[in-house]
Amino acid sequence: MITIDKINRSEALRYMGYKKDMDIKNTEHILDKCEKELLSVIKPRFCYRIFDIDKKGDPLSFKGCKLTLEGNDIAAHLRGCDKAVIMAATLSSDTDKLINRYKVRDMTSAFILDCMASAAIEQVCDMAQSEIIKAHHIKNITWRFSPGYGDLSIKLQREMIACLNGERLIGLTATENNILMPRKSVTAIMGISDNEIPKGKRGCAICSMANVCQYRKRGDHCGL
Amino acid sequence: MDFDTLMKKNYIILDGAMGTMLQSHGLEAGDIPELLNITEPEKIMDIHKSYIASGSNIIYANTFGANRYKLEGCGHSVEELVKIAVNNAKKACEGTDTLTALDIGPIGQLLEPTGNLTFEEAYDIFREIITAGKDADIIVFETMTDLYEAKAGVLAAKESSDKPIIVTMTFEENMRTFTGCSISSMALTLEGLGVNALGVNCSLGPGELYPIIEEMSKWTNLPLVIKPNAGLPDPVTNKYNVTPKEFAEYIGKLNKFGIKFVGGCCGTDPKHIKETVKILGSLEPVSKKKELPAAICSPVNTVTLNMPRIIGERINPTGKKLFKEALINKNMDYILGQAIEQVQGGAEILDVNVGSPEIDEKEMMITTVKAIQGVVDLPLQIDSTIPEVLEAALRVYNGKPIVNSVNGEDKSLDAILPLVKKYGAAVIGLTIDKDGIPSDAKKRVEIAERIMNRALKEGIPKRDIYIDCLTLTASAEQKAVTETLNAVETVKNRLGLHTVLGVSNISFGLPNRPVINSTFLTMALTKGLDMAIINPNVEAMVGAVRAYRLLAAHDVNSVQFIEKYGGNAPAPIYRKETEHTLEYAIEKGLKAEARSITSKLLYSKSPMEIINQIIIPSLDKAGNEFEKGKIFLPQLILSAGVTQEAFEVLKNEMAKKNNDTIDKGKIVIATVKGDVHDIGKNIVKVLLENYGYTVIDLGKDVEYEAVVNAIKDNKCRLVGLSALMTTTLGSMAETIKLIKKNAPYCKIMVGGAVLTPDYAKTIGADYYSKDAKRSVDIAKEVLG
Repeated sequence: MITIDKINRSEALRYMGYKKDMDIKNTEHILDKCEKELLSVIKPRFCYRIFDIDKKGDPLSFKGCKLTLEGNDIAAHLRGCDKAVIMAATLSSDTDKLINRYKVRDMTSAFILDCMASAAIEQVCDMAQSEIIKAHHIKNITWRFSPGYGDLSIKLQREMIACLNGERLIGLTATENNILMPRKSVTAIMGISDNEIPKGKRGCAICSMANVCQYRKRGDHCGL
Repeated sequence: MDFDTLMKKNYIILDGAMGTMLQSHGLEAGDIPELLNITEPEKIMDIHKSYIASGSNIIYANTFGANRYKLEGCGHSVEELVKIAVNNAKKACEGTDTLTALDIGPIGQLLEPTGNLTFEEAYDIFREIITAGKDADIIVFETMTDLYEAKAGVLAAKESSDKPIIVTMTFEENMRTFTGCSISSMALTLEGLGVNALGVNCSLGPGELYPIIEEMSKWTNLPLVIKPNAGLPDPVTNKYNVTPKEFAEYIGKLNKFGIKFVGGCCGTDPKHIKETVKILGSLEPVSKKKELPAAICSPVNTVTLNMPRIIGERINPTGKKLFKEALINKNMDYILGQAIEQVQGGAEILDVNVGSPEIDEKEMMITTVKAIQGVVDLPLQIDSTIPEVLEAALRVYNGKPIVNSVNGEDKSLDAILPLVKKYGAAVIGLTIDKDGIPSDAKKRVEIAERIMNRALKEGIPKRDIYIDCLTLTASAEQKAVTETLNAVETVKNRLGLHTVLGVSNISFGLPNRPVINSTFLTMALTKGLDMAIINPNVEAMVGAVRAYRLLAAHDVNSVQFIEKYGGNAPAPIYRKETEHTLEYAIEKGLKAEARSITSKLLYSKSPMEIINQIIIPSLDKAGNEFEKGKIFLPQLILSAGVTQEAFEVLKNEMAKKNNDTIDKGKIVIATVKGDVHDIGKNIVKVLLENYGYTVIDLGKDVEYEAVVNAIKDNKCRLVGLSALMTTTLGSMAETIKLIKKNAPYCKIMVGGAVLTPDYAKTIGADYYSKDAKRSVDIAKEVLG
């Protein structure tokens, strides 16, 4: 069971486009109100399975699991790993409802809540990852690789949810266009190994959104 | 054996897990288990037979995920797989008394309003399964977490089959499902829809289900169903941790709540069922019919009539020019704003009436009910005089609503009571018939009694019949006030029904209406009024109810009253007095002050002067600061939010003066399909509206055809499309293509962060609007 008692404010502000010389005093009371309300509705949940990577297979697959992972980037990501953690996490549908409610009369709060919820789901993933590492005495683990990043197809969302039984365990679904519902949710793949894992490529270089990214436009990056 | 005969048994034994058994036979994570019906029917039948041998009276066919969405691309149709699965189950039952259930799980997509699968699509998906599985003896919906989805399923089952229906939902330790549905809401809604049994399956082990079953037993007299997991799965081995013996012992402890159907879910196998049969054999069934609470609900909010309740009356166009305009323009934000304002005011139930001669009331009612339940958690009261409109709303309502209303005329009773029964609603009966409203209390009570008897005959429980003895205007019929109050008292005490009154009508034509209204309300409450239909934004009215609850000892230890009015209560947000200018308020984002400043400004300036001289330049300034990187996006939106408040005051002023709402022309705007960013579009909307244009806002993620239809329906000469993501520029181009083809007379302006003038030209737009102000210039150019 994961609980969050504070939103990573600086990360949320970054999502909102904040830069450090801006005077945002007149929004601080709204930021505080939004954080309080968001914390009162989010119900973080996560689920995961650990599978052996099938070394012989191409494309990459797992033992006892239907999932196959096509793409060079995920293969590079899992290089040197013998197992992988498949995980999913969500803030639950009450978060979406809260944001939708604000969209009717108070777009400022709606936007702020949306950014804060994005920060919160990353916090949930960090905490989930720590718990998984602890529970299974994991020595080395990669960062979280998600469908839609690099050349790993976004279409994997549905299959990953099915493999995790994520609908039953945490109430996670995907639309026909593979958008996760509830909206503030994440699926991810991490490689694990007893030996040190070679560092894979990461960041804007392999990101499929690099050309159009709002963060890059303003000389920033999304943080991955 | 048939279902009715089976029901005579003390306990009915269901089966255990199918998926778990298949996994132990080599099913991989992510496999589609239903395919095994075709590839390995013997394996499936063996599992069924092992449960039958363990004592199952009902086995679930292997059809849990056999729906259109989950089977997509598997090479087999729903019809084919479901038929074979049911057939396999029936074959396994041959020579025994065991019955076969068509097992239906969640579709796998989140329904509206949170998700994007519509209620109607869900209904259709379920109907396909039910039609294919018509050979099964029973229809089971299980592992449901969304009450709306369960309702779509039950309606589909009721309307395309006559088989018994069992529904079990999955609750978490917080006694709610993943979508927030409470146990009381589930029981009230599904019992109302006429299911044969209801209960809980999956998610938790039998030990943790204790409080859930206990709570459920308080809200229904239907037979209870439990199908718990054998504990929780291990992430590596996927094995469950409760042994068959422990499982059965826990089940034994749940017996006192009146359980009737017992089986197992994830992690259970025939041994769990066998042990359960053994334990139940030594127990006596507990079944006592209890008085159920009178209540209505949304999925997350159950309102019990154990104290006077406030019904908000504001969603109603009668006598409201702006509301009527909103209906004509399908301005959902206006209506939703009314809903949210009433929630903040203290409403506990919302009346919804969208009857207006200029619009398609049925379509509007569906849209409105769906939209309101997307943002507000209060139960709704569906208000219309047209049975088709009521039925449409009852279908798409998520929960147990109130129907407003029937009256004592046969025509009304004949048309409406069957709908109330079918959809499991509560109903308001008006004490009026073909001869009008009787002047004396006695005759009104007679009508009430007639309505009650007809409703009871229809099978509507007494607790769901509410009577409105009707408020007459005191200025016209002063003596009738006492008659109304006496009728309330008699209906409540002699007939034993709950009472409801619309209050505001009492003071019509008199000065100082709030005093009369709140005094009359208090008088009615002392006579036993259960529900007051009022304007919850008037503090005196809500305050009267709250004070009454305190004085009548409903509000124990005055907790609610002190919370509302004590020292820690939040200060009211609006109508703050201030010395600031509107320019300053817009710049600093002082939303709370915008209304009062604007009202004051109206003494010296016309609405158009305020718009042109203050609002537009101030917004321009905020826009410039944002472009220069001096303020960040929340600050820009906040400034727009302040102007929006000011605009509301101006619009009210214009509506009041009746200087025919300036209509310089209609403009359709939309955020294109696939895109959900609507901030920019909303700012454009506000600006255009207050330049005198009528804006038809289609919202976000709008289908191409919907844009074209709106243009054609309204004969628009200008449309504005917004997209904020590179990935949705494609659907902007598609929308434009379709407009050019079907409505070539309509000019197209586009805007959004990722657009460039060049790209706008490439995709065929007539205008590129770099910001909201530019959109106004374009509108002037095109429409004048």
